[in-house]
Amino acid sequence: MPSAASRGQGQDRRSESEESSAADDYAKERYGVSSMIQSQEKPDRVLIRIKDLTVEKADEVVWVRGRIHTSRAKGKQCFLVLRQQQFNIQALVAVGQHASKQMVKFAANINKESIVDVEGVVRKAYQKIGGCTQQDVELHVQRIYVISLAEPRLPLQLDDAVRPEVEGEEDGRATVNQDTRLDNRVIDLRTSTSQAIFCLQSGICQLFRETLIRKGFVEIQTPKIISAASEGGANVFTVSYFKSSAYLAQSPQLYKQMCICADFEKVFCIGPVFRAEDSNTHRHLTEFVGLDIEMAFNYHYHEVVDEIADTLVQIFKGLQERFQTEIQTVNKQFPCEPFKFLEPTLRLEYREAVAMLREAGVEMGDEEDLSTPNEKLLGRLVKEKYDTDFYILDKYPLAVRPFYTMPDPVNPKNSNSYDMFMRGEEILSGAQRIHDPQLLTERARHHGIDLEKIKAYIDSFRFGAPPHAGGGIGLERVTMLYLGLHNVRQTSMFPRDPKRLTP
Amino acid sequence: MPSHLFSERLLCPLSHRNSKEEVDPSLQALESHQEEILKRLYELKSAVDGLSKMIQTPDADFDVTNIIQTDECSPLTTTGADLDLMLGKDYGALKDIVINANPSLPPLSLLVLHSLLCERYKILSAVHTHSSVKSVPESLLKCFGEQAKKQPRHEYQLGFTLIWKDVPKPQMKFSIQTMCPIEGEGNIARFLFSLFGQKYNAVTSTLIDSWVDTAIFQLKEGSSKEKGAVLRSMNAALGKTAWLVGNELTVADIVAWCALQQTGSANAAPANVQKWMKSCENLAPFSSVMKLLK
Repeated sequence: MPSAASRGQGQDRRSESEESSAADDYAKERYGVSSMIQSQEKPDRVLIRIKDLTVEKADEVVWVRGRIHTSRAKGKQCFLVLRQQQFNIQALVAVGQHASKQMVKFAANINKESIVDVEGVVRKAYQKIGGCTQQDVELHVQRIYVISLAEPRLPLQLDDAVRPEVEGEEDGRATVNQDTRLDNRVIDLRTSTSQAIFCLQSGICQLFRETLIRKGFVEIQTPKIISAASEGGANVFTVSYFKSSAYLAQSPQLYKQMCICADFEKVFCIGPVFRAEDSNTHRHLTEFVGLDIEMAFNYHYHEVVDEIADTLVQIFKGLQERFQTEIQTVNKQFPCEPFKFLEPTLRLEYREAVAMLREAGVEMGDEEDLSTPNEKLLGRLVKEKYDTDFYILDKYPLAVRPFYTMPDPVNPKNSNSYDMFMRGEEILSGAQRIHDPQLLTERARHHGIDLEKIKAYIDSFRFGAPPHAGGGIGLERVTMLYLGLHNVRQTSMFPRDPKRLTP
Repeated sequence: MPSHLFSERLLCPLSHRNSKEEVDPSLQALESHQEEILKRLYELKSAVDGLSKMIQTPDADFDVTNIIQTDECSPLTTTGADLDLMLGKDYGALKDIVINANPSLPPLSLLVLHSLLCERYKILSAVHTHSSVKSVPESLLKCFGEQAKKQPRHEYQLGFTLIWKDVPKPQMKFSIQTMCPIEGEGNIARFLFSLFGQKYNAVTSTLIDSWVDTAIFQLKEGSSKEKGAVLRSMNAALGKTAWLVGNELTVADIVAWCALQQTGSANAAPANVQKWMKSCENLAPFSSVMKLLK
């Protein structure tokens, strides 16, 4: 009891002294929680981006908005790290002309991840500040107002979330497991690694568009609610559609082909694709973004293969030039060799791949599909000989491709179809499509497909169709493999898999 | 084996310390380790001695005279070489020779050999740029000329894939399972030349080998004094025969001619060498490569 009493007394005394000092807090106006911004006013205040705070701005007074990344109080001063996207700067609140003891205490107690407006003087740092992107300057705070307060307990710590995974869990430092990340995706996406990944992904889409538009392609939009399953009946999501049911598109293929039949000649589309595959692997999602290309050609489907491969090479080159910072940021957490490629892209034939695998001791049949381990092994063999992470495998056996694939004109066991690989994993699958309704009917029958169900598809070729070929790329896989990441969930902002439908 | 390797001096400091009362166990371990190494070295020495005795003895296991007698110099243009025999059995894929070379120093001799090989075999040629180099001159990208790739890949006898890449010296890869990469222009030239299936006796092939090395190390990379000496000895050799070795074009001529072109010392060459250069340039593979130099 006495101890409790004395503690109570002590508390009283402290709050008393605080009250008395609050009265003569000379910096009272220089800090606090600002009222909720409800667009009351349009002040002339200019907010400077943290990434623009460099030595050129030394001794200037600036306003900055950022999140409290970390804070550390030490006697009469408090060090804050303010973060804005992947950039951060050290800020110092010290008792002096502008800040009182109370202000320092206030600053030190702002919860991490809160958003603050800070006015301060940019000062040249005496020595490089490690752990900050703005290493040469720091901010001497004169005013600090909380704009949006974060809750005190964070579901995950940002510093833990960017820590490289060290083998053997060295020195027991915490990392964050994938489910915790995905459950709290909003916070996980704030990390420098996530910021870089999704900037780069946006770059892939942009480069894809840029390159194809330059090549004379037309961007199209295709419906995602469809009446018939596009690639056979399996793996399709059924949705209720008024009094009947409909399906979610597994690929925009049918519509791309219809555009070709409608004389658009070269089309592409970027959109969601749905696969009801119950596979929980590192590279399968139930919804992903498809980058799809379809193109009419003159005489040989290699015209299309070359165009698609060149598009990818232009994307790789563009990423290499424009996104070096992002690549390096991701590399800090997930170290990986830079992505290598050849121009023009190396094109091997399926039979060569089989020969290479057999030479390496793999037993497989001529018309057998590549298993995932064989795909990986082949990737290593090709890399060793040609030093490229990207190549095309042409002329797949007809037996392992869908019914609409054009058979090879010479060897009926082969087909005019191809896959493209990045770091030994398939990213694109494509083929010359059969544009002749009669042959298409024949092939569908051979595959035991109910002709009634694909009548609309076959009918679209009845009024004259140009020879054409195309393919589809998975955006998340390209991002993952370009950066050498190991799970496609890292490159999907809000991934959907058989076990995850939220957030 | 040089005897000073086993100099007793090495042992002195250790044995000196040994005489003292207290011997550090780690020192002792070190000493026994040293003795073990010396023992192994002695064994090695006696093995080498045995070998050298065998080589120097006339009635040793093999007979040099035998090799010298198999002299059947045939011109390059005749057919008869079996690629399967030379390159080993495979599983039916295109036999693709991959050459990585730096565009800042194109390996001209390999390009000459490529055109010569094209006269002999059905070759699928390809040029690629590796992502490690930013830009490659147009002429180098088209150094194989326009290719009509009409046949399926597997119908070609050989593949020749040239990759312009950031490498310190040219590098060749063929079968990654059974062969290590070959480095250096001279060594790759030897390999490519061997695909013609020429058989030379030991003396001739040693001469060819020696000229290839001379061309690469002294003519191309050597000092001006060395270059001068090579030009003089070339002049002497070419005074006796039409080509550097004998009366047929060999890899020695190809590598030496290219080295002369790249060092720019072609104009200062003595008379016989000048004449020989003219005969080289009269051959199409050489003249097409000359266009790359301009």
